[in-house]
Amino acid sequence: MHLSFEQVDKRFGKLEVIKGFSGEMASGELVALVGPSGCGKSTLLHLAAGLEKPTAGKVTADGNAITQPGPKRTLVFQEHALYPWLTLVDNVAMALEMQGIGKSSAREQAKTWLGRVNLAGFEQYYPHQVSGGMRQRTALARAFIASPEVLLLDEPFGALDALTRMALQDVLRELIEEHKPTVLLVTHDVDEALYLADRILVFSNRPARVLKEFNFTHCEKSHDLSEFASERKEILALLGIKTEVEHS
Amino acid sequence: MSQQRRLTGPKKYLAVLLAVVFILLIWQAAAWSLPSFLMPGIPTVLERLFASIQQPEFREGLAGSMSRLGAGYGFALLFGIGFGLVGGILFFFRETLRAAIVILQSIPSIAWVPLFLIVMGFGNLPMIVVVALAAFFPMALSVMNATESVQPVHVAAARVMGASRWQLIKRVYLPAVMPELITGAQLAFGNAWRALISAEMLIGFGQGLGRSLAYSGEIADMVGVMTNILVIAILATLIDQVVLEKFKQRMLRYQYV
Repeated sequence: MHLSFEQVDKRFGKLEVIKGFSGEMASGELVALVGPSGCGKSTLLHLAAGLEKPTAGKVTADGNAITQPGPKRTLVFQEHALYPWLTLVDNVAMALEMQGIGKSSAREQAKTWLGRVNLAGFEQYYPHQVSGGMRQRTALARAFIASPEVLLLDEPFGALDALTRMALQDVLRELIEEHKPTVLLVTHDVDEALYLADRILVFSNRPARVLKEFNFTHCEKSHDLSEFASERKEILALLGIKTEVEHS
Repeated sequence: MSQQRRLTGPKKYLAVLLAVVFILLIWQAAAWSLPSFLMPGIPTVLERLFASIQQPEFREGLAGSMSRLGAGYGFALLFGIGFGLVGGILFFFRETLRAAIVILQSIPSIAWVPLFLIVMGFGNLPMIVVVALAAFFPMALSVMNATESVQPVHVAAARVMGASRWQLIKRVYLPAVMPELITGAQLAFGNAWRALISAEMLIGFGQGLGRSLAYSGEIADMVGVMTNILVIAILATLIDQVVLEKFKQRMLRYQYV
């Protein structure tokens, strides 16, 4: 699914969050949005999901205006988005049940998906009984089970420790390679963006505006990101992080 | 969970038992220090209780009270939960309803009895309405307040899955407010029970615990008074601590694992 933002403005009352943002995301592309907190990146995801409407401009998917949420465009949240009153398998199955698929069939498929993210045996656990990493694996399963064409990730691994995060990034990358959705990834983690993204958009402070775009299409990547050191440095500099040792 | 935040098992039962013993002790102490025609002791009252249970009249009264409670409390639960949930998603309706409840709740439900008696006539209906009124307010308020703290991310997640409004209410709002809903139901039960007994004492239609209590008082039968009070206490405790507690543990199973 091809996503397109045309001159999008978004205001919440007097607060101007996004101003004149335009961008195209080709089908199957993974675009990372990096920027200071509160700069409006998450709002872009909510616009693409259809949870919010733009104040001005157009957001379209394959040429059709996005007016409401739908299972073709799914959103993965940072944390606590699983339902604490449902077991892991029921959390995943709910995504299918909302589309009118029967409970037992939804459960069967949910079970398969939990296995797919290495959570076989944890089906009957409640979210509070498992680790944060396992919860986010479940959230990924819940997102992919509906075979979305657009996947919107809102700092999905932001609350995890560094090692768990890298393991989850690999799970995510495999799933994306298999199912090839168009992905918008909001992250604070520059390394995560470098590792996963085909393109990185670096945003300014609010109202969000693209400072610079980096293209990594067709790059082979591993967690050793040393060959991207110069891009990393540049992105951090754009975000106002010092990368040079100061001599005085 | 590594940290234990509530008493479980035998310790909890021990605590409850201690409370019961304490209350009975005060009662018996009063009975020892007052003449027996004023304050009968526990054995006398228990004897009367067992005798009463044998009588069909007493059992009919009990059934009458319970059916009035069931009808009034049932209505209150149904409408309280319904209004509370609707208030959760319609913000303007919520504020209107909340204001109305705050005003109406300040009137003791028993104060409506004279009006209801004249409008609805002498019978079961005014008592049922009084019970329903007493239970409705805490029920609707607790559900409505709880819907305000439903996490936006839980709502957004369901909307992204393509949930309809009805599915949102049934699959997100209702389970999310369940802990407060049950607390509200327990609170509402307390109100309903008090309203029932007072209404029965006041109206005195048909048979029932309140009527029987008031009658015992009128003929200065203190054993009868204490027997009725004992039955009122036992029944309320059973319903609250056994029926509603079991329901709570069943609905909130996920919190107990």
